[in-house]
Amino acid sequence: MIFESFRLRHLLLRQWRNRPGRALATALSVAVAVGAVVATWVSADASRIGYRRLTEALDGTPSIDISARAGGRFDVGKLPKLADISGVRAVVPLFFRPTLLRVGEKRVREIAVGVDAQTLAETGLLKLTSGTACVGPDETVLGAALAEGLGKSVGDEVLFFARRGVRRLTVTGIADPASLRWFADGAGVVVDIQALEQMSNALGLVDRVRVALEPNASRPDVLEAAGQRLPETLVAEIPAGRASMAEDVLHSADLGLDFVTGLTVAMAWFIVGNAMLMNVTERRRSLSLVRVLGASAGQIRGFITIEAALLGTLGALVGAGLGLAAARPISAGISRALQAPFSEMVVEPLIVPLAVLMGTLVAIAAAWWPAREAAQIDPLEGLSQAPAPANNQVSWRLLGAAFALWAFAALMLLLVLAERVPPRAAVPAGIAMLLSFVALTPLILPLLARGCACLVPRRFALEGRLALEQILRQPVRTALTTGVLVVAVSNGIGLGHAIRDNVDDVLGWYARMMRADWFLTHAGMVATGQAHAQGSLEAEADLRELSGIARIEVIGIAMGKVAGGAGVIVARDMPDDAPLPLAPVGMEESAVRAALARGEAVAGTVLARRAGIKAGDDVSVEVFGRKTSVRVAALVVDYTSGGASLVMRRDTAKRLFGLESADVLLVTAAEGQADALRAALEKIADRRGMLLRSAVDVRKFIDGIVGGVVGSLWAILGLGFAVGSLGVANTVTMNVLEKKHTIGLLRAVGMTSRQVTAMVVLESLLLGASGAIIGLVSGLVTALFIQWASQPLLGHPIRASFRPSVVVANLLAAVVVTGLAAWLPARRAATIDLLEAVSAE
Amino acid sequence: MTDPILRAVHVEKTFAPPQHGGAGVQAVRSVDLEVQRGEFVALTGSSGSGKSTLLHMLGGITRPTAGSVWLEGVDLAALDDAKLAVLRRRRIGFVFQRYNLLPELSLEENVALPLVLDGVAGTAASAAARVALEKVGMAHRASHSPDALSGGEQQRGAIARALVAAPALVLADEPTGALDSVNSRLVVELLHRLVEEQGQTVVLVTHDPGIAAAAGRAIRMADGRIVSDIVRAESRVAAGSPTP
Repeated sequence: MIFESFRLRHLLLRQWRNRPGRALATALSVAVAVGAVVATWVSADASRIGYRRLTEALDGTPSIDISARAGGRFDVGKLPKLADISGVRAVVPLFFRPTLLRVGEKRVREIAVGVDAQTLAETGLLKLTSGTACVGPDETVLGAALAEGLGKSVGDEVLFFARRGVRRLTVTGIADPASLRWFADGAGVVVDIQALEQMSNALGLVDRVRVALEPNASRPDVLEAAGQRLPETLVAEIPAGRASMAEDVLHSADLGLDFVTGLTVAMAWFIVGNAMLMNVTERRRSLSLVRVLGASAGQIRGFITIEAALLGTLGALVGAGLGLAAARPISAGISRALQAPFSEMVVEPLIVPLAVLMGTLVAIAAAWWPAREAAQIDPLEGLSQAPAPANNQVSWRLLGAAFALWAFAALMLLLVLAERVPPRAAVPAGIAMLLSFVALTPLILPLLARGCACLVPRRFALEGRLALEQILRQPVRTALTTGVLVVAVSNGIGLGHAIRDNVDDVLGWYARMMRADWFLTHAGMVATGQAHAQGSLEAEADLRELSGIARIEVIGIAMGKVAGGAGVIVARDMPDDAPLPLAPVGMEESAVRAALARGEAVAGTVLARRAGIKAGDDVSVEVFGRKTSVRVAALVVDYTSGGASLVMRRDTAKRLFGLESADVLLVTAAEGQADALRAALEKIADRRGMLLRSAVDVRKFIDGIVGGVVGSLWAILGLGFAVGSLGVANTVTMNVLEKKHTIGLLRAVGMTSRQVTAMVVLESLLLGASGAIIGLVSGLVTALFIQWASQPLLGHPIRASFRPSVVVANLLAAVVVTGLAAWLPARRAATIDLLEAVSAE
Repeated sequence: MTDPILRAVHVEKTFAPPQHGGAGVQAVRSVDLEVQRGEFVALTGSSGSGKSTLLHMLGGITRPTAGSVWLEGVDLAALDDAKLAVLRRRRIGFVFQRYNLLPELSLEENVALPLVLDGVAGTAASAAARVALEKVGMAHRASHSPDALSGGEQQRGAIARALVAAPALVLADEPTGALDSVNSRLVVELLHRLVEEQGQTVVLVTHDPGIAAAAGRAIRMADGRIVSDIVRAESRVAAGSPTP
């Protein structure tokens, strides 16, 4: 049948030549739709890469750890080959041991890490600020902070105390602190791994093997692949302390990006569908004539399908190019917002061919309904001079479809909440829910449009009435146009609320947790041993001697195992005169405080979910080789290490595990003394090799991360509005083309060009306002949906708030966008050639 | 008498009632009609008498609510959409009041369209279109767009399109309705010539008593029924020109 339809190619080409505007507008619709998908896709990828780089900047290269299931060291010979797993950049065996360095009379307790330093340096995983990597048994690389503290540089010697005696090591290089942090976990001395193993009588044994991943590798995929190869005695895990706060903020942001990409595809569908529908509707008469002259319904269907394929491919090619062009500044902006370097925009090689294929297929699929309609055109319609009959019938099937989509979304949400399906399943479910609103649009739109028309000023009463008539005349088509706006507004309001609520949750946690005027921290943050405990305790003692301090709270952090899995143990002061720095889930603060005082702990919600821990459970905890059972009194909202943390009082941690380090010192100044403390605190920080930051600095840092994440998502949402406006502009232009005859008649009977302009703009505004109202309801439901769907990721519910500013901004954007989008088509309608319009087919 | 080329048996047409209540409109009521090959039949009647609806049913443009239409022994009701489309393009030529030439195509391409739809190669279809245009005296305007032609020229072009596939039957629905008297006469003479010189069968709907009088057979309809059916032996010579 398609072959037979090729017989009409002359007619198709002539129709394009005679009315290039119509064909171009249709192709442009596809271009806009495909461009939007490509731009969103690439920008979302840019966001993800930006997030990853942000995480890397904080935590180092993404990695997974291989360790002994039973704890302790293991024979590295038992490790299967992992380097050939896709996404693996390097496999790095690590051997740690506490040591004592002596330089002159100065003795420093430190952690030494044994590693193949030369290979690490060659692969870029170890960066040296000066010198070269250590190779031989008598060489070492020092961390920059330690070297500075010891007053040593390249070529100097240090005495290294190990189990098998003292060794004199030459400093061959000074390591960049950021690159050292990635593998050394707080260690400041790097020694060749074989040399350190020999010194420790542990040749061939390692503490863990860190597997560095390629920048774009999927950590879960590598984790799974590695896990399948490991023997029973070894286990692959995400290193504790490696999932940074930034990464956690981004769990739901990532869901949001998927959501936005999916919705852009839905929006593309509406835009193309609408264009195709109008493209066919405008030619109903000539198509019916061709039917009278002997074309079969199949030939007409084929004719429309071939046209859709050709215009779709053309539009998709142009759109892919436009999308890539648009993605570049957006990606660069996102990278800037995320403070991540933007070198080259990453474009998945399949994006362009997939986008072109998608554009073509969407165009063909979107033309299916108009083609079917065209094939069913009554041949008599072509013989009649009357205009095409109005399609006022809104199928109840739409209502059924809306209900089915809604039911699917609700079911999927329940499955996500019950953790029967992964959280990502919420994305198609969310899109289905939004589409259910769009499916309801033809039913609701007439009522809303009538309501909005009541608000039209009296002096535009006639134009308003005519505009309303045009909307009511074709509810399906206007619903498609409105659908684009519904998606854009719903996107903006839904994601806007979800993102703000999420961010507020993180900021609320941070404010509770890090309440102070000044923060003193160790560069390494996470302790693997007690080596630097002494130094931090001395810093704490220094602080307590200072005047002008109202309160000092100390946080000690250590990596360990909780219920057999990796976890972070947080030991902190919880003074009675200050609120509990934790937000318990479903338990009174006083009860939690009492339980903590009894020596119990509280578990982060993510850890609890991952390890199946409930309040009241006794769990096994291992820190620094000490293993004991700890009762979990409650679950708390905690973003430390992605919520995979076990929090206890500092005295409890000291008693159970000997954990007494002061990794973070929170200093609250007495009233009016905050600035006066700076100089004294800087001295202590210098003396103890710690980093001093003010609350303002920290706030700025956090705001920078949060602002970057929020900004990147808003940029993509803004793109949605831009696409929505192009869709509306295109639709209104085609509307004007289609109504050329009607507009000509109106002008002929005395309507002024200003009245025509007003009528077209009003039509667009009524559509915009109606779409915005539906989008508002849909957006609020979407916000709740995203929050519920995020629960399994975060492990706790997030408080939903109504945000008038987000709502008003989106509604205004919708109305302004539709008003502006209508301006050009309105001018075109106003300047229409009367004679041509009246004689138009 | 030979087998009729066209036969309508108890043909009825009722248009569906409007969606929100109201009775349907019975446009044609139990019409029986036979048309012999080479006949020139004029269907007359006041507006709403059902003549155009009957013509559309005879041409397979719309299906009867009841009864059957047979063209050259083929029951149109037995044909599916695709077969009916093939029959329309091969065996029936249509001429309409508003010419209905596609503005995107040149006159020649418009005339060739039924052949193109039927899969005839482009050059062959063009050649056939030229021949048809010559018959109606429009070959010199073949490459023109319909917009560039007068009403009479467009209608002659439309007649060429109706003839191009050498159909068994030409159906014309008020072909002179939009023309002045001079062009009307030209068109009617052209149709008569088809019957006389080529033995073509023509069924024509008209309000014009002059044209009806010139037809070999005049059928008058009222209220959906045939109320008179007059066959004249020498009608063409007697009239031949429409009433101004």
